[in-house]
Amino acid sequence: MATQQNCALPSGFQLDHYRVERQLSLGGFSIVYLAYDQDGTPVAIKEYLPNSLALRADGEVTPHVTEAHQGAFRYGMKCFFEEGRALAKLVHPNVVRVLNFFRANGTVYMVMQFERGRTLHDYVQKNKGNVRERFIRGVFTRMLNGLREVHAHKLLHLDIKPSNIYLRADGTPVLLDFGAARQTLMSDTPILKPMYTPGFASPEQFASREALGPWSDIYSVGASMYACLAGNSPQRSDERIKHDTVVPATKAWAGQYSPHFLATIDWCLQLDPLKRPQSCFALQKVLAQRHREAPPQQKTWLEGLGSRLKTMIGRS
Amino acid sequence: MRFTIFQESRIGKRRTNQDRVAYSYTRDALLMVLADGMGGHLYGEIAAQISVQFIAQSFQQEARPKVSDPVLFLSRVLSNAHHAILDYAFDKHLTDIPRTTVVACLIQDGVAHWAHAGDSRLYMIRKGRLLYQTRDHSRVQLMLDQGLLDAEAAAVHPGRNRIFSCLGGNHPPQIEFSRGVSLANGDVVAICSDGVWGPLEPGSLVNTLSDGRVMESVPRLMNEAEELGGHQCDNMTLIAMTWHDDHQEDIPDTVSTRTMPADAYTTQMEGFGRGKREQEDLSEDEIEKAIREINAAIHKFK
Repeated sequence: MATQQNCALPSGFQLDHYRVERQLSLGGFSIVYLAYDQDGTPVAIKEYLPNSLALRADGEVTPHVTEAHQGAFRYGMKCFFEEGRALAKLVHPNVVRVLNFFRANGTVYMVMQFERGRTLHDYVQKNKGNVRERFIRGVFTRMLNGLREVHAHKLLHLDIKPSNIYLRADGTPVLLDFGAARQTLMSDTPILKPMYTPGFASPEQFASREALGPWSDIYSVGASMYACLAGNSPQRSDERIKHDTVVPATKAWAGQYSPHFLATIDWCLQLDPLKRPQSCFALQKVLAQRHREAPPQQKTWLEGLGSRLKTMIGRS
Repeated sequence: MRFTIFQESRIGKRRTNQDRVAYSYTRDALLMVLADGMGGHLYGEIAAQISVQFIAQSFQQEARPKVSDPVLFLSRVLSNAHHAILDYAFDKHLTDIPRTTVVACLIQDGVAHWAHAGDSRLYMIRKGRLLYQTRDHSRVQLMLDQGLLDAEAAAVHPGRNRIFSCLGGNHPPQIEFSRGVSLANGDVVAICSDGVWGPLEPGSLVNTLSDGRVMESVPRLMNEAEELGGHQCDNMTLIAMTWHDDHQEDIPDTVSTRTMPADAYTTQMEGFGRGKREQEDLSEDEIEKAIREINAAIHKFK
């Protein structure tokens, strides 16, 4: 099946009592708009519009869903509701807030608080190779506050990655996009597979979905921290199981970050779920510990050797 | 109570599925109900829907966790379902009153009672043999009983679909009640519409269901009936339940109600919507309900 691009609603479109300003992002499952409510407050509106099942041509409002895709379209809507249900219950400064949920144009919409800032992904790309340990520790410690709240509601996020972590202007992180979150793990239908980003998903997500737990999100947190250093995600975990080519953080960035921090990343990225931190709290405790940062750049090869030696001593 | 249960409904080659089926159980009682809306009449589908929904709802209200008298319960709910159809027809000014067959089976205290009207059937199988079977309320069955027809002629008789008792319609239903039958470990109770028993060879249903593994045998029988039904294939619905001793070891896929709270119930209804897509389908009502719930949650936590 060829996947076509869906056309976004035009700027100025009156959607329920919101006025669409512009498209913020386009995914395979939905379009996110910036819009204003009647008081002029900006909101982010997520429109359920799976590419493979519904098509909105240019200038049209109601997407066209063929008779054959009706069932799958409705099923996907169920998943969209799951996301809404999941988020509606969560009120936490580090989790995106849902404000409204409504039906229009033959599909459904979720209205969320609009956050100003940028994603961690953008930040990492801009400061490639120069993201400081203190910054990463700070962002993830606070982001884990939000994730703890998610887990406390018996939910899993299942799609944690730098592009789903938003940094407000004041630097506080907000967890976005709960499209993959499921309270009860529904059996997969062939048409709409669960969505996740390969490099950040835990091995359980590929194979044994009954083994999913907080530790699965922890793997993604580890992969996200790894990506902060590497600039991109580690090797996909399903391939790692067959042939692991991931260079442990403790090796790859020895001397540039504290051994304690690097070891924490490697800990989260263990393929065996039991060998990872088992809860957000356990990971948070470790991340919040203050450690003297290693010098960000190596001065001479001798000093470099010195710090590498120190690392080895520190590890033994 | 411990049992294995499986139900399936298929549209066959018809435009709509007018069969309805449901089961519902509490800690101490199990209800199975099937209705086959009559195609020749207006709104057969509605009559079937009203009946199954009404009977299942009455069960949920009264079985706490048992009903006080099984026979009285069956007699009351079937006659009330009949009147619910008449009320619907009156409210909507229908010129013709919708009709449906019905079979309802209630099990509690290890005893099964059932009641039926029309030509949907209940079979009870013990140790590979047919123990009981309902008698169709059809002309053909009457002629068979009087020796005017043999089984072969009955299978092709032009009037074989004509029944003289049903819920809805212009005449009060003639409901037939079974006596109570104590269930033994391994007994199978199966209820089906004529779309299933019609095309099958006599004995095939009993043979296939005998092993008690209803999760596999029900779909197998449905496949067989669908194939034999060919391009004329009627709506087909089959629900089958295997009874297990309480103290038996855990058997996969069985339902044990032992740990259920006394006031809880579980209901499975099928046949609403359009055939095969049902599990994926989300009705308008469900969409509205989901949106209401989400908004309620948003405002509750604000």
